[in-house]
Amino acid sequence: MSDQSIQGSIITSRLIASIATRTALETPGVLRLEPTIQGFLARLGPAALQHLGNPGSQDGTYRHNGVTVTISDGTARVHLDIATDIAYTALHVAETVQERVRETISHTGLTPGTVDVTIRAIEPHRGATML
Amino acid sequence: MALDDIPRLGCGRSIDRIWATTDRPPTAHEEHCEHCQTARTRLQGLREATRLLRESDLHNPALKPRPAIKNAIMGVARAEVRRGSKILLRSADNGTTEITEQALRSLIRFAAAAIPGVHSRRCRVEIRSAAASPAGEDHASATTGTATTAGPRLIVNLRVAAAPGIVIPRTMESLRREISNALPAGVGIGAGTVNITVEDLYDV
Amino acid sequence: MGDHGPGFEPDPDEGSIVARAQDGDLAAFEHLVLTYQYRLFRLAYRMLNDHGEAEDIVQETLTTSWRGLPMLADVDAFGGWIYRLATNKCLDLLRRRSAHAENCIRPEDMDTIAQAGVLAVSAISDPAHEAEWSAEQDGLTAVLNTLPPAQRACWLLREMHGRSYAEIGVTLKISPTAVRGTLARARHQIAEGMSQWR
Repeated sequence: MSDQSIQGSIITSRLIASIATRTALETPGVLRLEPTIQGFLARLGPAALQHLGNPGSQDGTYRHNGVTVTISDGTARVHLDIATDIAYTALHVAETVQERVRETISHTGLTPGTVDVTIRAIEPHRGATML
Repeated sequence: MALDDIPRLGCGRSIDRIWATTDRPPTAHEEHCEHCQTARTRLQGLREATRLLRESDLHNPALKPRPAIKNAIMGVARAEVRRGSKILLRSADNGTTEITEQALRSLIRFAAAAIPGVHSRRCRVEIRSAAASPAGEDHASATTGTATTAGPRLIVNLRVAAAPGIVIPRTMESLRREISNALPAGVGIGAGTVNITVEDLYDV
Repeated sequence: MGDHGPGFEPDPDEGSIVARAQDGDLAAFEHLVLTYQYRLFRLAYRMLNDHGEAEDIVQETLTTSWRGLPMLADVDAFGGWIYRLATNKCLDLLRRRSAHAENCIRPEDMDTIAQAGVLAVSAISDPAHEAEWSAEQDGLTAVLNTLPPAQRACWLLREMHGRSYAEIGVTLKISPTAVRGTLARARHQIAEGMSQWR
């Protein structure tokens, strides 16, 4: 099976993950993505981490540092784990992230699917590095 | 020798008794008893050496774990962090939004920190769907003003320690109001019920 | 502790910090780690006389405490609980150590050794030894190392860490009365040993 090819370029789930990450981080009120999956996989052992490192492809899932992307039949579905700034309304921040990520996905030529957001932490901006 | 046997000197006095009175002048018996005099001198020396060791260990830079130890402990804690259950805030065609109980707790704790005389302790947050919430039951939340009024409502169960001397009912009313305002502002969802339990007084 | 940012009271009571850590609050747990790591290290070091092993005890104890925190019924019992965890880890390690030691000194022989003044452990070789130490301190650490582990733990918990008889009793699985007896015998033995040291 060949990679999803749009206008001569290959759109992988890894690329979508990178785009979704950047878009989320540029949204006001988003402090960071929450890389909780890493700790979880570290406990499963090296095999799981190796699987994590695959570059992603069409009809595949790519998962890294708080973002999960699944591409299936030309549609990209995204899940994001975020921490939001206490000065913003988390639900509105999540809504904006969803809209913006869907829009940036559409620029790649893929069809934007659902963008699910989990708010994992709410913190003051200054305290974002306290741990 | 039984475990609770306390050593006795040749004169029959217990070590415990000598230890307890080394800082007082010797009794008439102790002044003339060789056993007691020797024991007193030695225990006084031990008491002083104990104090010096306690002090020097406390400030001895060699008696500290390296910073890497704390980092390793916190690394494990972070990897295994318990965030409680996830609560579905919104479900739409373009995706769902969930929030962890931990995120709600930290928001609630920040709100509680604004009220003097209150230290927040354990906190549980549950969700109640909009349909199950009869109108008028909820606490007034004038600042809501978001498009989420038809959405789910939260039930907050917060336990707190209070400073001695504060007026509890009035303080808890302020706390409830602070939390009821913080949830719509920080999350975008109304606080349905805020239950507060004062479980302890803390020392100031 | 460092800056928590706006809205976080600088220093809540320990019970409240423990309760938050029970809920999975990492900042609260970090506060507890900062509070207890040095105390536990000093205890473990005086039990084991090994910097690396004492660090292992601190790390294992605090990691175990993170996992066990949600089950702790009384927030005010945290200090006693964590001292108990650390003490028992030290005693376990010493049991394993003595099982492996070729020339194992039996606890029954300790009195004889102390009385004969044959104190193999020199306080001078102690890395924690400090230049301004008095002869009494050197003698104290040297004799301390000849005490049987449980007795040493009892003495350290009471004299260096100020823990209660009741708590020490729970830790060592003996009655508070037995703690009093063990402590008296430890003091007696150390005082005797110190008089023969130097």
